[in-house]
Formats: sequence, C-alpha cells, structure tokens
Amino acid sequence: MASIDLGAARSGSIAETASVVIIAAAFIPWISQNPAVYSLANQILIGVTAALSVYIMLRMNLMTFAVPTFMAIGGYTAAILGLRHGVTDVLLLGIASFVVPALFALPLGALVLRLTGVYFVLVTFVLTEITQLVLFEMPGWTGGANGLVGMPAVTFFGIELGDNRAVLLVTTGLALAGALITAAVTRRLRQHFAAIEENELLAQSLGLVVWHHKAFGFAIAGGVSGLAGFALVNMLLTAHPTSFSPLSSVNYIAYTIIGGKSTMLGPLVGGALLIWAGEIFALRGEFSQLLFGFLIVVVVLAAREGIVGTVSRFLLFLSSRVLRRSTINPGSGALGAPAATESQP
Amino acid sequence: MEGIVATGLIGISLGAQYALLALGFTLIFGILGVVNFAHGGFYVLGGYLAYSAVTYLGLPYALAVIAAALGTTALGYLFERFVLDHVIDDHLATLMLTLGLYLMMSSGLLVIFGPQSPAFSFPLTGVLRGHGFYVPIENLVVLAVCLVGILSIYALIYYTDFGRALRALADDRSVATAQGLRPKLLFPTAFALATGLAGLTGALVTPILSLAPHVGDPVLATSFLIVILGGLGSIGGATVAAFLVGMVEAFSAVYLGGSKGALALFVLVLIMLVVRPSGLFGHRVRGA
Repeated sequence: MASIDLGAARSGSIAETASVVIIAAAFIPWISQNPAVYSLANQILIGVTAALSVYIMLRMNLMTFAVPTFMAIGGYTAAILGLRHGVTDVLLLGIASFVVPALFALPLGALVLRLTGVYFVLVTFVLTEITQLVLFEMPGWTGGANGLVGMPAVTFFGIELGDNRAVLLVTTGLALAGALITAAVTRRLRQHFAAIEENELLAQSLGLVVWHHKAFGFAIAGGVSGLAGFALVNMLLTAHPTSFSPLSSVNYIAYTIIGGKSTMLGPLVGGALLIWAGEIFALRGEFSQLLFGFLIVVVVLAAREGIVGTVSRFLLFLSSRVLRRSTINPGSGALGAPAATESQP
Repeated sequence: MEGIVATGLIGISLGAQYALLALGFTLIFGILGVVNFAHGGFYVLGGYLAYSAVTYLGLPYALAVIAAALGTTALGYLFERFVLDHVIDDHLATLMLTLGLYLMMSSGLLVIFGPQSPAFSFPLTGVLRGHGFYVPIENLVVLAVCLVGILSIYALIYYTDFGRALRALADDRSVATAQGLRPKLLFPTAFALATGLAGLTGALVTPILSLAPHVGDPVLATSFLIVILGGLGSIGGATVAAFLVGMVEAFSAVYLGGSKGALALFVLVLIMLVVRPSGLFGHRVRGA
C-alpha cells in the first residue's frame, strides 16, 4: 500500500517537474519570427494555465465550470489597474490578478463548497452565467458591451513589453507562475487532497479539516485562473465579456480530461495538443469543437486516464515486457511469463 | 392594464415552452441521475429536423414536428443505450459524455447547415384580438401543444405502469431492480422520452424565436435555472418554476429592459442552490 502511494507521489513529482520545465522552455527565444507561432504559443500557455485550475479542483473531486469567472476577475483587475490607476508594472499586475480572484474565491467558497458532485457543477455553471450578466450590467466598472480598451503596455522594471515577443514573455511568466503555484500546492497537500477525493466523510472523521483545505484549494484555483485572465487580456489588448464566455469553461475542462486528470502533465499535454489541433482547423473553427466532443466521449468511455495516463501505462507495459524478457526468461523469445512456468519439468 | 395582460400571456406561453423542456431535463436527472448537458442540443436538433422535413421533404409543418420529435427520441434512445449506459453510475462521467455529445451536435449542425439562420417560419400567422389584449396566433398554438404535452407527461408518469416503474427507479434503483424492473430497458426509454420532449419543443419554438446552431446554449442555461429552482428531479417543481421563470422573463423584458431580470433570476438560483439545494419543492433525490 505504502509503496503504491510512493509510486503515485513519485510519478506526480516527475510530472510536476516536467510541466514546469516545459513551460519555462517557452522563455527560450526560438528562432521563428512568425506572428502565427507567437499567437499559438500564447494561446496554448493561457489555455494550459486555465486548465491547471480545473486540475487543482479535480484533486478534490470537484468539477468546476467557474474558470471564466475567475479569469474575468483577474483580467478586469489588471485592465482597470492599468487603465484607471496607471499601474503598468507586470509584477504588480500579476500579483493583483492572482490575489484579487483568490480573495474573491474565499467568501464564495464558504458558500458553494458545501455542495459536492452534480450540485457543485451546477452552481459553478450558474456562476459563469452570472459573470457574463454582471460584466454587461456594470458598464461603469467593466465598460459593458464595449469592454475595456487602451490599456498602457505593461512594463518590467521600466522596460516596456509591447511587441509580440515581449507579450509572449509575459504570458510565459504568468503560465510559469501558475504552474509553480499549482505544483507547490498539489505537492504539499497531495495526501490531504487525496483523502478528500477518496472519501470526504472519512477524512473529516479522521481529523482532517476538510473545509479548510477545500477553501484553500478553491482560492488557489481562482488565483491561477486569474493569472490566465490577465495573460489573455494582455494578449488581446482588451478586456471583453466574450473572452470569458460560459461555454469557454468547457474547453478548459476538455484540455484537462482529454490530457489526463491524474497528473499535472495532463492539462499541459491536453491543452497543447487540442489548441494546436484547433489552429489546424482555423479556417473551419467548428471542426475543432467536433473533435473536442468526440475526444471527450472516447476518453470517458475508453481511456479514463486521458492521453498522458494511457501513454504512460503503455510505456510501463512495454518496459515491463522488455524487462521480463531480458531478466526472467532470457531464452524463450516471444512468450514471456507462460513459458517460464511451463519450462518447469 | 392591456400591457400587463399581454405580457402575462407572453409569460404563460414562455412558461409552457420552458416547462416542456425542463420536464425532460428533470426526468433524466430524477430517474437516471444524469445532468444532461446535451438538452439544448436536442432542442436545436429538433428545430433543424423540422426545418429539413419541411424544406427538403416537403412535409406539412405538423408532420415535420412529429418527425422531429421522433428523430430526437431515437437519437436519445441510441445514445443512452450504447454510450451513456456504460458509465451510468458515475456522475462526472455521464456529465462529460453529454457535454461531449452537445459539442458534437452543435458543431455538427454548424458544419451541415452553416452559421446563418435558415428561413424557417411558423405556417400560421395573425393576431387574436380580444377585450383589452392581443396575442399572436402562433403563440396560442404552441401554448396549446405544450399544455397537451405537459398533461400527457403527467398522465404518463402518474397513471400508467410505465410511469410507476420510472418513479420506482427514481426512488430507489436497487430496490426497484430487485423487484424485477429492468433499468437496461427503462433507462434508454426514459432518456429517449426526455430528449423527444426537447426535440418537440425545438421544432415548435424555433420557427417563432430563431433557429441557429447555437440557440441551444441559452436553452441549456434556462433549463438549469428552472430545474434548480424547482428542485432537481421534481416534476411538479419544474412545472411551477418554468412558469415562474417565464413570467419573470416576460415582465422584466418589458418593464426593466436589458438582462436585469435574468441577472436577478440567476442570483436567486445561486442563493437557492446554497441555502436549499433541493429547490423549492424537491427533496434530495440523489446523494449530492
């Protein structure tokens, strides 16, 4: 039992380290000057960051649709700070776009985290609808249907980050921050979250303050979404309600589920592959939704662990076959284990 | 005064449409324990099936509506029987499957029919004027069909053996199964019934409102709103809540303008979910 836990923890750590390294690799100035490549990299990093917050909530067996809500809070916070208060420092804006949604998530979490299962799904879906309506109905703050435009370019210690390359750097930084926070929290609280996921009542009766951990997880997930929201606003140069539509949450859920929800590599691989696939269909956008829907059905029915889980299982299977051949039964070729028992006289 | 009566009639006719939609949604949740994200998709599909039957096959509108209802019933049956049934006890899995189906349906319709709304209008037009009020005739027809539909559902659920079996399954699946009821047969049928209702509503309503691949999104949101308000799985609650929501939408659209009414409803639902997740009339059907 203990060894299984250790194994899961080890593969989790490998996945977390790998995710952080892969995202950090986007800092390297790749040779391409093609704006389409920059745009694709931006979209992938933003999508992955948002999917990470779905991943955090799934650690506690909670499926959240509320990602666009917190993205909107983070994005609009950054936009309002830049536009109305002249804050352009990317560090300050990044911190604000994490802290404000996280703080907002605390009282909200106190209300909605009492629900589980289907009811939690419904309440988060309702939240995204409310978000849309609030964005439209509060033009004094949010610019209403026009959104907010004309934010000054963000700066890093006084250096203006305005061109394509710089925007990608900002997005990468935010995605990296999101990934580091996600890795730190899920690693630190791995067993707590696992206990809640497995059996919340039992965890509580064994002395785990379940409410405490769920609220913390919800706040962190909200903050990570907020970072993605800031990155999105910074890329589009506008904060607009359509960027945070209720059904966009389906995309982030799709990235996480199709990529694999058991390790942090899942949302990363799922997000990268699906957004890239969406780009291929750029001229006929509807095909990408068709593909998402189909893949979701396939993953749920046939490959519950998603792409990452299935591939790693396949690799494990292959390596165990190879090992068995070479150590247990070196001579007998294709038939590994059965041949070994039959060879006893 | 005239305005209030006319608005009230619009509210009732909206409420009847919503009730038909929400009844299907709540049946699926009550009996199968599935949150059907594809419900809006079946509504749109019903609309497009009726449109195709009228335009390409030259069927009269009434027959086209029936064809649409049958088509969505068949698709619902097949989907439950061959896809959903494998994971029927896993809430999140069934939710993801219906979500996947919805994505495929709405984008499939977009691929086939394109993003523009096709020209599809109700065959009857005209306005009925009475003492101090006036109603478009098509609304009356839709209202009548919807009311007949709602009453049929009630009769089916409360006065037939089939309905009794469904209620037994909703109440306690393991006991009902032990008594000899067969979920393998009844689940697909119940799902098909509900998706057929969504298709019927779509075929009736889309010629009046609008038909486009994405009109299912708001329908899904409204269905959610109603069944949460009425209590997930509660048939009576869904009916009352549907008329309530219809009224609030009609009056707020006329007297408040914008989406303030919708905002108020959503906030009400949020409070409701938190304070009383079982809704106005429901009892907790499923362990949440």
